[in-house]
Amino acid sequence: MIWSIAWRNIWRNKLRSLIMLSAIAIGLFAGVFSTGFYKGMADTRLKTGIKTEVSHIQIHLPGYTVNSEPGRYMENTGSIVEKISRLKEAEGASRRILAECFFKTAHGTRGIRIIGIEPDRESKVTDIFERVKEGNYLDDDSRIPRILVGDKLREKLKLKLNSKVPVDIVDINGNFSSRLYKIGGFYSTNNTGYDEMTAFVKYEELRSQLDLPEDVAHEIAIYLKPDTDVENVRQKLAGEFSGLEVKSWREINKDLAYLTESMDQYMLIFVWIILLALCFGIINTMLMVVLERTKELGMLMAIGMHKSRVFIMIILESVFLSLTGGLFGIAIGYGVIKIFEKRPIVLEMMRGFEQYGYSAEVYTSLPLYMAFNIAGLVVVLGVVSAIYPALKAIRLSPVDAIRTE
Amino acid sequence: MNILETKNLHKIYDEKTVPVHAINGINLTIKKGEFTAIVGPSGSGKTTLLNMIGGLDKPTEGEIIIEGIKIHELSPHKLTDFRLRNIGFVFQAYNLIPVLTAEENVEFIMNLQGQHKAIREKRTIELLEAVGLGDRLHSRPGKLSGGQQQRVAVARAIASKPKFVLADEPTANLDSKSTENLLDMMEKLNREEEITFIFSTHDARVMKKARRVITVDDGIIVSDETK
Repeated sequence: MIWSIAWRNIWRNKLRSLIMLSAIAIGLFAGVFSTGFYKGMADTRLKTGIKTEVSHIQIHLPGYTVNSEPGRYMENTGSIVEKISRLKEAEGASRRILAECFFKTAHGTRGIRIIGIEPDRESKVTDIFERVKEGNYLDDDSRIPRILVGDKLREKLKLKLNSKVPVDIVDINGNFSSRLYKIGGFYSTNNTGYDEMTAFVKYEELRSQLDLPEDVAHEIAIYLKPDTDVENVRQKLAGEFSGLEVKSWREINKDLAYLTESMDQYMLIFVWIILLALCFGIINTMLMVVLERTKELGMLMAIGMHKSRVFIMIILESVFLSLTGGLFGIAIGYGVIKIFEKRPIVLEMMRGFEQYGYSAEVYTSLPLYMAFNIAGLVVVLGVVSAIYPALKAIRLSPVDAIRTE
Repeated sequence: MNILETKNLHKIYDEKTVPVHAINGINLTIKKGEFTAIVGPSGSGKTTLLNMIGGLDKPTEGEIIIEGIKIHELSPHKLTDFRLRNIGFVFQAYNLIPVLTAEENVEFIMNLQGQHKAIREKRTIELLEAVGLGDRLHSRPGKLSGGQQQRVAVARAIASKPKFVLADEPTANLDSKSTENLLDMMEKLNREEEITFIFSTHDARVMKKARRVITVDDGIIVSDETK
């Protein structure tokens, strides 16, 4: 019966309760939507980072990530890649040759990273082939080798499709090597910084330009099937290829790892700040409730209602108030997030962040458990906000309270 | 049989600053089935006396014994429990819970006592019919007249099967007809079910109905008449 009284008490002063409920609903909507928005942003960044840039796992010669000289290559990489590709957890594996080069054009010279890939294998590991905006994905067997460059580099150096550019490299013998490449295509990821600094050529072309022996690679990238435990596979591979360095994306790209770890915490802090602001509103409302009902509370205690029950009744009232507004706000926020899960919110002002890997097209995302977590925080908000008013209520003397006009 | 006894009851307010002697040694016994009015001018101490015998206030000195239990020695928690099971209250301003219907208001006290729902419902309907509100079970207090609200309050007070009912100025807010009806109804309950009623009142109509009138002035009993 206390539950029923507490619920009905909310509606005694409809206007006041509706104002408070609206404030809670709007606050929670803002909290949930912002969480979904930033989570979506972080997810897109993570997805792009893994699918386009680092993959789930990378294998190198020990120390290569610290000192990436072209002579620090792995041997027999063809059989390693074949072996890894057969793993049930692996979506695909691809070997790469990496080099720093100078990219010379009439409009300037740029130092960029050039990656030699096997297009078929690479297409199972990264989605660069899907991101080709103009031209082809290194699949044109012409006399002059093709190079795939980022859209941002095109913009900076005013590059044209099918134009020829010399690429200068220092090979493993320390000799200067220059080779002419034909621009076969332009790609564009959500990371303009990556697009400006990375170009792709065929594995064999770069291998021969660097004067590397056959069947070697600097890097083997592995993309895993969805919901695979990355760390588990990493450990398995590390055991199998003990002479090599096997790292997960978390170790390779610490920024990306930090982003996923910190985003949930940031969002939780953000929601807490909203709840804290709402807390004061609820305290004020509940204090008014206690003040207005002093006589009634006195009567309840006089006829034999224990103070603990009065305390619970006030707490329940506050929880119901918070939860009604909160659930409403969470439901609307979650609904809006669902809408923008499929069609993105395009923010032109976010274009500037694309150089850091963030997309200006944000697909909102919020796991259901996070919505439940926020609902749980709303209950906590209701309880915490009512403690002081409830304590005031039970400190009333029944005799004095009954006499209150 | 005495259900209530006070011995040398004293109540002093603001003992440490300017002491106000509200009750100055009252010895009183109430027997089961009495229909008693405590009367006196404003400030005479009748409400203080009622609060103390109702376990809402503690005496500065003296004893309050209800069926052998010294209630002034009980802890606040036990005293609340004692009130719930032994004393019925009727207040001047009805003091019903506005969000509950008449039926729920009466049932509420039995709910606090932990009685089963079936028992509660049966007794609630019986009581509301006994006070003439069998057709207003589902009305909230706001939809009832003052007289009807006070009848619900009486039904609530006796729902817990108390040893006695304390009614503080129960007719103060009622018109003559409602007062008449309420007093007739309480007298009937007193006569037929032997429920003990103790009133604090100014109302001559209550004094007229009461079978015992105790007059209090300056915190002492100045007269005690049984008709």
